[in-house]
Amino acid sequence: MNAYKFLAADGRGIFSRHRWVVGEWVEAEVDPCRTGVHACRPRDLPFWLGPALYEIELDGQIVETGFKVIASRGRLTRRVFAWDDEAREAYSQMCISRAAKLAAASSRPLTSWAPPPAASTEGPARMGFIAARLAEEGGGLDAYLDERARQASWLVDRLSLS
Amino acid sequence: MPEPLGVYEHGYTCREIVDLAAEYVEAALPAHESTLFELHLNFCDGCFRFIDQIRDTAGLAARVGEDELPESLRADLLQAFRDWKRA
Amino acid sequence: MTARWTPRTAACSVGSVAETHTDARPVTDDSALVTRLLAGDERAFEDVARAFYPRMLAVAQGYTRTRAVADEVVQEAWVGVLRALDRFEGRSSLRSWVLQIAADIARTRAVREARSVPVSAFELDVERPETAVEPERFRGPDDPFPGHWRSYPTDWRRLPEQRLVSTETLELVKRAIDELPESRKIIITLRDVTGCSAAEVCDALGVSPEIQRVLLHRARARVRARLERQFDA
Repeated sequence: MNAYKFLAADGRGIFSRHRWVVGEWVEAEVDPCRTGVHACRPRDLPFWLGPALYEIELDGQIVETGFKVIASRGRLTRRVFAWDDEAREAYSQMCISRAAKLAAASSRPLTSWAPPPAASTEGPARMGFIAARLAEEGGGLDAYLDERARQASWLVDRLSLS
Repeated sequence: MPEPLGVYEHGYTCREIVDLAAEYVEAALPAHESTLFELHLNFCDGCFRFIDQIRDTAGLAARVGEDELPESLRADLLQAFRDWKRA
Repeated sequence: MTARWTPRTAACSVGSVAETHTDARPVTDDSALVTRLLAGDERAFEDVARAFYPRMLAVAQGYTRTRAVADEVVQEAWVGVLRALDRFEGRSSLRSWVLQIAADIARTRAVREARSVPVSAFELDVERPETAVEPERFRGPDDPFPGHWRSYPTDWRRLPEQRLVSTETLELVKRAIDELPESRKIIITLRDVTGCSAAEVCDALGVSPEIQRVLLHRARARVRARLERQFDA
């Protein structure tokens, strides 16, 4: 199965701190959400945004959960260079616009929640959360998930993912 | 009076994270909660730093340096050992 | 070429507890060691007394603040250990077993001297509600993003490494641990300062993993707060 994986700028897993090498197979025991090779389906991308994005090939025992995929074997196949500073900034600004719109459309005053464009320095993950959270304030969990799905579509388009 | 969990948003707030950190750092959070925990950390620099700080604190404590067996106690213990041997 | 994935604690410049305390003596040495002790090997005894001292002291000091009394407890513990040694079955590690004996003696002595710190003191401490970080650090119900940080903790990665791991910092950590309530001091000392596993601490003190975890977190959170004040100043 092919999926995606975000890593820290130094090529390490963001939570595991495991040092990944493109092309090298990594094995792990699968204990869902604890141990195993973690990866994103396209719809999971907005939740796990990180500095560097890779395509990953998964093999062995594969478990799909609500927010990620866990496998007993995985191998980074290529870096998605399209996820660069420009793309991150564009994503952040998209979320900031969405946040402003959602705040304005809300029945109770939420404008103090919407960040200014300069807030993009806080990073795309934070901006994505803010937009989704604002959606949640207006329409509950469903609206939150809808907003996240919108974000995922944007990423698939922008990064030409399959 | 602390507010109950899950009052504001469906995931965790930072307030909840800092207290759940005990379980997370010890890898004792159940699967689903562990994912929600990391989902939060992923967008929240504040909490990410807090977790790192808790680990740094533990790491610093590890370097504090252990007490060494004082010479007089060592001698007393050795004597106790000899007494026990003879008994 | 295949690599093995293992989760690690965040690779911080400080290094994790596990990295600092790589315990060279494997547990399988226990039966060989017990045999040597029973045979009267003084060198073996001195070695193990030296090796176990930091943890035995930590346990004892959880029940008495006087170093002299704590050392007496350590001695009494060894006498008890030697007397029971031929009955050691190896169900737990030797070290765990020795720590349990030390904890029992420390507790009995504290009760006798009417400074009772019974096992339930750990439970009592946990029952007192306490947050790892003061509530004022988080946004209120009428703020945007209630429950989130008002302002983030600073990034300790940006501190010069010499500052983070300096003698001054270690002194501060030592002092902060020393000033903790007994139940927490004992747990952070055993877990972090001396590198005991959670299981070992629970066995030695007769507390549940949950209680041990909560108290460890409260201890670390207190020390973290002291460090934060220092680094932010």
